[in-house]
Amino acid sequence: MDPAIQDTLDPLPLIAGRHEDESLTRVIFTPVWEKTRRGWWFLFVLGLGGTGVLVAAVTVTLAQGIGAWGNNMPVAWALGITDFVWWIGIGHAGTLISAILLLFQQKWRNSINRFAETMTLFAVMCAGMFPVLHLGRPWFAYWLIPYPNRMNIWPQFKSALPWDVVAVSTYFTVSLLFWYVGLVPDLASLRDSSHSRLKRIVYGIFALGWRGSTRQWHHHKIAYLLLGGLATPLVVSVHTIVSFDFAISQLPGWHSTIFPPYFVAGAVFSGFGMVLTLIIPARRLLGLEDVITLKHIDNMNKVVLATSMMVGYGYLMEAFMGWYSGNKYDLFAVTNRMFGPFAYMFGLLIICNVLAPQLFWSRSIRTNLIVTWIVSVLINVGMWAERFVIVVVSLHRDFLPSSWAQYKPTWVDWGLLFGTMSFFGTLFLLFLRFLPAVSATEVKELRKELAEHRAEATAA
Amino acid sequence: MADWILGEFGNEEELLKAARDLRQKGHLDVETYSPYPLHGAPEAVGLKASKLPLFALVAGLSGATVAYLIQFYTNAVSWPINVGGRPPHSAPVFVPITFETGVLIAAFSIFFGLWTLLRLPQPYHPVFEVEAFRSASIDGLWLSVETALSSETERLAERLRALGARQVTVVRDQP
Repeated sequence: MDPAIQDTLDPLPLIAGRHEDESLTRVIFTPVWEKTRRGWWFLFVLGLGGTGVLVAAVTVTLAQGIGAWGNNMPVAWALGITDFVWWIGIGHAGTLISAILLLFQQKWRNSINRFAETMTLFAVMCAGMFPVLHLGRPWFAYWLIPYPNRMNIWPQFKSALPWDVVAVSTYFTVSLLFWYVGLVPDLASLRDSSHSRLKRIVYGIFALGWRGSTRQWHHHKIAYLLLGGLATPLVVSVHTIVSFDFAISQLPGWHSTIFPPYFVAGAVFSGFGMVLTLIIPARRLLGLEDVITLKHIDNMNKVVLATSMMVGYGYLMEAFMGWYSGNKYDLFAVTNRMFGPFAYMFGLLIICNVLAPQLFWSRSIRTNLIVTWIVSVLINVGMWAERFVIVVVSLHRDFLPSSWAQYKPTWVDWGLLFGTMSFFGTLFLLFLRFLPAVSATEVKELRKELAEHRAEATAA
Repeated sequence: MADWILGEFGNEEELLKAARDLRQKGHLDVETYSPYPLHGAPEAVGLKASKLPLFALVAGLSGATVAYLIQFYTNAVSWPINVGGRPPHSAPVFVPITFETGVLIAAFSIFFGLWTLLRLPQPYHPVFEVEAFRSASIDGLWLSVETALSSETERLAERLRALGARQVTVVRDQP
């Protein structure tokens, strides 16, 4: 452990081992420069196979229409919307880590922001597919854009669905711009540390001619901070708008003012779950244990615990308001969730989202990688179950018992979920192969800050 | 037509001291290079506050205004539709799209404004002639000074060495 950057009051370091700028760059770039491993090819082929399932499921959806899904009346929104909300929620941790923690000057974000931001981009790509496919006639998706046309019609902006289109596309675009602006200095380092002419040219093109001059850093720093400042309200607004899809309707179980904050907390919770699921194996396989340390895992687990409590509070309030409203439909929606035909889904979400994260009160469990990884997978499952409960369980028994129906997904529904997971994994493997999973620039800056901080503390 | 004199420095203090010293001697085309932003470097080479926040503010407000006007025109003027008796011009429901579009346009203005201010992409630059300059993005601290007078070049190279540069290289512009 490097005594120059070690805080004596905190036994877990943010950068382990003794490192200089050069060795940090080397550690972070090794996964990019080394030869492709056999394990990578194995996972990649597996991912491509799963993406094939996605292609098949999408083809069937396009050819047969939404009838190929298990949707029925009254369950007109089912797994498609569940998956959409699940994926977009996963994306939110990336923006939280990269933007909100940037504004709060949390040093530990520097080592994991690239990883989480990339996860955001790919998760939003997966999320975006579902509402478009759900249109029924996706080839008319451009009707959602207000353009002058011979039909003389405009989008209806009083509906929450055009809000979704704008929110999700803005979210993707801003995340992409933020990601790329942060990536350019690293692309320049890749250009300058490459050993072959081809790599030097390719990374050089994407580095845009970055030289690291003071003038460039001066504007870059402001641009990065401003994009972070914009992404912060954006991320809160996106999941708020997603929750409006439900909250502005009149269905018991959806029509609730708690939805926006409850959705945002849930999104951050599920996103951190996914970051942990991915980062625990990745840091080991890529040899990044010196820059993504137990301190990072510990901090992320604290966020998981806090957001788990917020989500738990949301469940409690939903149940309380169901009773306190005095409305028999609201009360029925709550009791149907707990004791109805899908009671097992409700049980699953309570176990995964509220009970399992309680283990993180203990520091030794927060730094235990195996337990953390298992809990993180449970969170992914639990948050999917939560969205299923909100979407399907609220719909399948609404006001009139004569219109109730049971819901059963088809292989196309499962194929889309499994397929998007594989697509996500494939994209992530490509990212880990060609780009540094950790921002070398920001970790070097962090090392310098820690050393300066330590020097000040010793002098004082 | 200019000569570029590049020097690599061993530490931040010497680099910034050299930059300030050269500026005081009247060489205004001084630039420092580092793998991450250095405190005090913009002041040392005499940079003013960035204009990007202003770009973002103007662009964000214009984006939001245009988005509101589009919603107002399409839903309240061009083709009003009565939805549950709600007013055709209903400001609260126009808020989400107005906000999102403001953010989108502000982000675009920051992104493109940044590259415009930095004059990137720029595939060629005299500093790239120096092979050792590749360290500038890894762990090296470099300083460059540009001069139009080739008679000054040797003197500046000497000056950089005197200020503590570990290695000094001159890139002569081909006539």
